[in-house]
Amino acid sequence: MHNPRPGLPEFDYVRPASLSEASRFLAEHQGEARPFMGGTDTFVRMRDGFWKEKYIVDVKRLDGMGDITFDPSTGLTIGAAVNMNRVIDSPEVQEHYPLLAEAAKTVASFQLRSRATIVGNICNASPAGDTIGACIVMGGVLKVHGLDGEREVPLTGFFVGPGKTVLKPGDIVTAIRFPVLPQGHAGRYIKLGRNALSDLAIVGVTAFAYPDDTPSGYRFKLALASVAPVPLVPEKAEEILTGKPITDETIAEAAQAAMDACNPIDDVRGSARYRKYMVRNLTRRAVTDVLNRLQ
Amino acid sequence: MALAEQTKIPNPIGESMPRIDVFEKVTGAAVYTDDIQFGPQLLYARVKRSPHPHALIKKIDVSKARALPGVKVVVTGDDFPGHIGLYLKDKHIFARDRVRFVGEPVAAVAAISEEIAEKALDLIEVEYEPLEPVLDPVYGASPEAPLVHPDLGEYEVVNFIFPKPGTNISNHFKIRKGDVEAAWPKCAAIVERTYHIPHVQHVPIEPHVAVAKVDETGEVTLWASSQSPFAQRNLIAKTLGISQSDMRVIAPYVGGGFGCKAGVTMEAIPVAIAQKAKGRPVKLRLTREEEFYTNFVRQGLVIKLKVGCDKDGNLLAMENTMYWDGGASTEYGVNITRAGGYSSTGPFDIPNVKTDSMCVYTNHPIGGAYRGFGMSELHAGIGQVMDELAEKIGMDKVEFLKRNVVQGGDILGTGMKMHPTGIKECIDKVAEALDWGKKAEPSAPNKLRGKGIAVMWKAPAMPPNAGSSAVIELNEDGTLTVNIGGQEIGQGTFTAMAQLAAGVMGVPMDWVRIAGPIDTQYSPYEWQTVASRLTWSMGNAVVAAARDARQQVLKVVAEAWDEDPDDLDIVNGTVVSYKSEREMSLKDIGIYGINKEGDTGWIGGPIVGRGNFMPTYVTGLDPETGQGNRAVVHYTTGAQGFEIEIDKDTGRLEIIRAASAFDVGKAINPDLVRAQIEGGFVQGMSSAIFEEMKLVGGEMKNPSFVDYRIATAADIPPEHKTFIVEVPQDDGPFGARGIGEHPMVPSIAALGNAIYDAISVRLDPPFTSEKIYLAMLDAGLVE
Amino acid sequence: MALHRITVTINGEVELVDVPSHMTLLQMLREKLALTGTKNGCAAGECGACTVMLNGEPVNSCLVLAAECDGAEITTVEGLKKNGQLDPVQQGIMEAGGVQCGFCTPGVLISARALLDRNPTPSEADIKAALVGNLCRCTGYFRIIEGVKRAAKIQEAAKEEMTYGIG
Ligand SMILES: Cc1cc2nc3c(=O)[nH]c(=O)nc-3n(C[C@H](O)[C@H](O)[C@H](O)COP(=O)(O)OP(=O)(O)OC[C@H]3O[C@@H](n4cnc5c(N)ncnc54)[C@H](O)[C@@H]3O)c2cc1C
Ligand code: FES
Ligand code: FES
Repeated sequence: MHNPRPGLPEFDYVRPASLSEASRFLAEHQGEARPFMGGTDTFVRMRDGFWKEKYIVDVKRLDGMGDITFDPSTGLTIGAAVNMNRVIDSPEVQEHYPLLAEAAKTVASFQLRSRATIVGNICNASPAGDTIGACIVMGGVLKVHGLDGEREVPLTGFFVGPGKTVLKPGDIVTAIRFPVLPQGHAGRYIKLGRNALSDLAIVGVTAFAYPDDTPSGYRFKLALASVAPVPLVPEKAEEILTGKPITDETIAEAAQAAMDACNPIDDVRGSARYRKYMVRNLTRRAVTDVLNRLQ
Repeated sequence: MALAEQTKIPNPIGESMPRIDVFEKVTGAAVYTDDIQFGPQLLYARVKRSPHPHALIKKIDVSKARALPGVKVVVTGDDFPGHIGLYLKDKHIFARDRVRFVGEPVAAVAAISEEIAEKALDLIEVEYEPLEPVLDPVYGASPEAPLVHPDLGEYEVVNFIFPKPGTNISNHFKIRKGDVEAAWPKCAAIVERTYHIPHVQHVPIEPHVAVAKVDETGEVTLWASSQSPFAQRNLIAKTLGISQSDMRVIAPYVGGGFGCKAGVTMEAIPVAIAQKAKGRPVKLRLTREEEFYTNFVRQGLVIKLKVGCDKDGNLLAMENTMYWDGGASTEYGVNITRAGGYSSTGPFDIPNVKTDSMCVYTNHPIGGAYRGFGMSELHAGIGQVMDELAEKIGMDKVEFLKRNVVQGGDILGTGMKMHPTGIKECIDKVAEALDWGKKAEPSAPNKLRGKGIAVMWKAPAMPPNAGSSAVIELNEDGTLTVNIGGQEIGQGTFTAMAQLAAGVMGVPMDWVRIAGPIDTQYSPYEWQTVASRLTWSMGNAVVAAARDARQQVLKVVAEAWDEDPDDLDIVNGTVVSYKSEREMSLKDIGIYGINKEGDTGWIGGPIVGRGNFMPTYVTGLDPETGQGNRAVVHYTTGAQGFEIEIDKDTGRLEIIRAASAFDVGKAINPDLVRAQIEGGFVQGMSSAIFEEMKLVGGEMKNPSFVDYRIATAADIPPEHKTFIVEVPQDDGPFGARGIGEHPMVPSIAALGNAIYDAISVRLDPPFTSEKIYLAMLDAGLVE
Repeated sequence: MALHRITVTINGEVELVDVPSHMTLLQMLREKLALTGTKNGCAAGECGACTVMLNGEPVNSCLVLAAECDGAEITTVEGLKKNGQLDPVQQGIMEAGGVQCGFCTPGVLISARALLDRNPTPSEADIKAALVGNLCRCTGYFRIIEGVKRAAKIQEAAKEEMTYGIG
């Protein structure tokens, strides 16, 4: 019986003065303390009783967490605390990383997006996270502050299971960094929800490509949401699209490979059977859209 | 009121006046129950609920909860032995010896904060012995099923409900009209189908909330978000063994009702606790999750239909067997199955009818009134089998409907004679709006296109003698205070009542105030704000009260002026004489009367008009045949249609355009009527496409807005045309009938028919993208 | 359970409030300050009835901690009216008949205000997208959308009046 409490359970709200203090606090209170950004996952889960932390650690206002910076030679850095609406509105994102804005726009509602963050979406590690695919295919790398100082963590291998990542106690993601993207790239995120907008994804398909010296003339990257315990990269499908000249048949073959790669479950949003077909059909559609955008 | 009198309709009746509550509502000033401040004495209640669909309670230990600092009251079923219920008293405030659904209250706590109350719940220990649950109404009706209410035979029940003790059937309504068996061989086409309509939730945006306080003298006050302050006063008082007049219900604005705030659901809980709270107010506010499954839900329905017509498309016979999934208690639901029974033919003229409408106990959430009161579920089946039959006999579907819909003078399934109705005009309007008969090309190669239409009827479902009353007082400034007991739940009834009062009295609209909040201590009696009955029933009471006040004014003035009251009128708040051309403002009459010529005394006194209304003509029906002289007060009829496209890649359904037409008798406020049609249309469409309580093993798996989707602003079609048809009601105020519920009734069938037109498959609602896609896949339409 | 003393500006008034860590902005508004125009429809970020403006951005106040709001500026439905004049969104939705039970209305108005702040001439699609986080069970949204369109016009007209001194 799902019967959450009316409000949040009791906890202490903590605002460390520096990242090192925050990391230390989090490590010292391992299992009892949690950092948050927008809190849109955190407070829902706390109210539901799934999470029972004693300390909720606000690191949003610490150095650099609220900045978006773009450098034509090194790429884009989005501070962990930057909310999705700011990402969507950023001229640099719109010009150089439009796929990220396209994906972020599909998340929930406008008011939720003025709190929700990309880094929160990633750290929450839900298979349904809408912006995760875009971050994966564009080579996003997390900047992490831990007990031993700063390090970078790529998204490949970051997700371990639903809600589980490789982050260690004391780790705080401070930003996500994207490299400069290859010339002529194009991307597409298609989210299938029950409603026209605002639902969680029954299936989400991210497709991304850029011209390259390959048999197809492109390098293709794909990511799938809500069809496996973690955000899924259907490598075989990527290979097909990269390794053969693009025809309707190649696209269909790749779409079929994506369908075969996924391992969805039945839940209240959709059945595994439906999800598999949708992966196929929407991969086909997303790849076709990307090809149109590439031209 | 004679029809002749209705022909001259005074302003502002029939005008699209702005709502009188809108300024409060756009400024945040409107007060809802949860907004009332009770100060630091307030206690917060939380409810311990059953995790089992069906189990015996072996032991409850509340000692640890009682000992928790900050906890003031802990109660269990032992404290409240009485039964409660609107039509059938089969419910306790807290489960006593057994629990019958997941979420049923077994105990409650009141503490100085919600957090402490929540902690106390964890300290209550309940030991259960699980029993086999009944999770399907067809099985539940069978002799093999375990009994959910072994004591059914002992429950108090009204005289028009027929429980079958020793079974799970708490009401069995029958119609036996003509001879269906003899009719089948004469049919040129027969359609047989079974539809499963899932449980859905009302989803008012304001969850249930109630606050109760018991003072030194034992007098109880309940503040509640309520469609039924009077019914709550009556039922809760009876259950707790107090006198109705010792109980007062105050009901501020309601943030959406749709039926779920009718009757008594959670409101009895804070009252029960407050009896032990030593004068402190006790608030219970449901969480959204509790709102989904612990209160009234719309019952599930399994409907088995067989219909046949002759070669010209004339309906000859219908057999309709309905198994209503009434849930753990059917105190209110029994009357939904009755309504489903007496309206079981839908708005069709059928000579031979056999109906069995059964209310079945299950271990599901409790069914209650929901906008349409059974009609949406019933019409989901009827509307689709008629479509199918038309196709089978090779007739245009609109023509088939028009040939078979009820008309004034027809003898209905219950033996009642139908009153004049504009249903054919409704069909024409909708068909025309959709360019019926013209097949448009899909907008893209991967789309399939279809059109569908369905008709509906619905009568107010209520006790035969449900009454209304109104009192109108004049104030010093000439304005009117209209006292009523019917509730403003968003439908606009305060505005419509103000218009009726202003029009009849002869004052400008802004001279009328509706006295609120509804307070059983001051407001005149109203049965309940349900059944789309207020405009008609309370409207009649308000008109009568306004006429009474008006007559009093005219009599006083006539005496003062030494004229005949018939020569006087009230125009724009001023009494005028058409004979002497004298004038006097209502300000000078309403309270102080009139000083006689030469200061020789006074005439009149404070003007108080009063009016009431109760239908007196509804008769009982034979329990074996369902036949009687007049089953209901009247039927509102209408039609709705959709043009849709389906995406072959995803199964997503998109509404291109839609149209709705309803015969409201007389629109007291056309804008408000259209607003009801639009809102109901979207609620109907939402229930048809998205909504289903996913009940697994008796437990709802999707009790949140994330998992139970309703239509958002982005889901509504670009075009929805609304049409108002007006064939007057002989006993309605200026001919008016209700419209609150009707707009959502035909939606499932109309959409189902449109989907069929596109993909040639019949589906159970909700028509999700998944269901449509997989149906296309299984039918070989896509691969 | 720690208490935090925070200073917030609500509808132009500076307030000093003591709030426990786990108190949401919504609870603070309704329970501490009795600003009950903002509604609680789910406490989980789903319905939008609790939408308020936080530093100029609309947020679900049920998912914001009060303690986070130290130094913040908040506008609720009670603060939309300025100098006795209804805000164009209030005027527009009122005129279009976009209110029935009124429970979603405060949140709808804040979302609409935020939309017109960032886009004074929204298309129908913009309006729908801006309102998906505000569930309304009564109106079917048609008149709400119409109301926002009207609000945009009212606002435009008022601006012209200011610029050209018409009227
Ligand atoms: C009504 C509703 C609708 C939603 N709809 C969608 C949707 O359509 N699509 C979608 O993808 N999501 C949706 N979500 C989920 C949620 O909004 C997103 O996942 C959002 O991006 C989370 O961001 P946040 O900043 O609010 O995360 P938070 O709640 O702040 O954090 C989420 C998780 O990440 C961890 N974390 C946060 N920041 C850091 C950090 N800097 N370092 C280390 N760990 C960190 C937290 O400890 C927590 O475990 C919805 C949520 C709600 C309530
Ligand atoms: S109460 Fe905050 S979104 Fe529903
Ligand atoms: S007006 Fe009732 S929820 Fe919107």
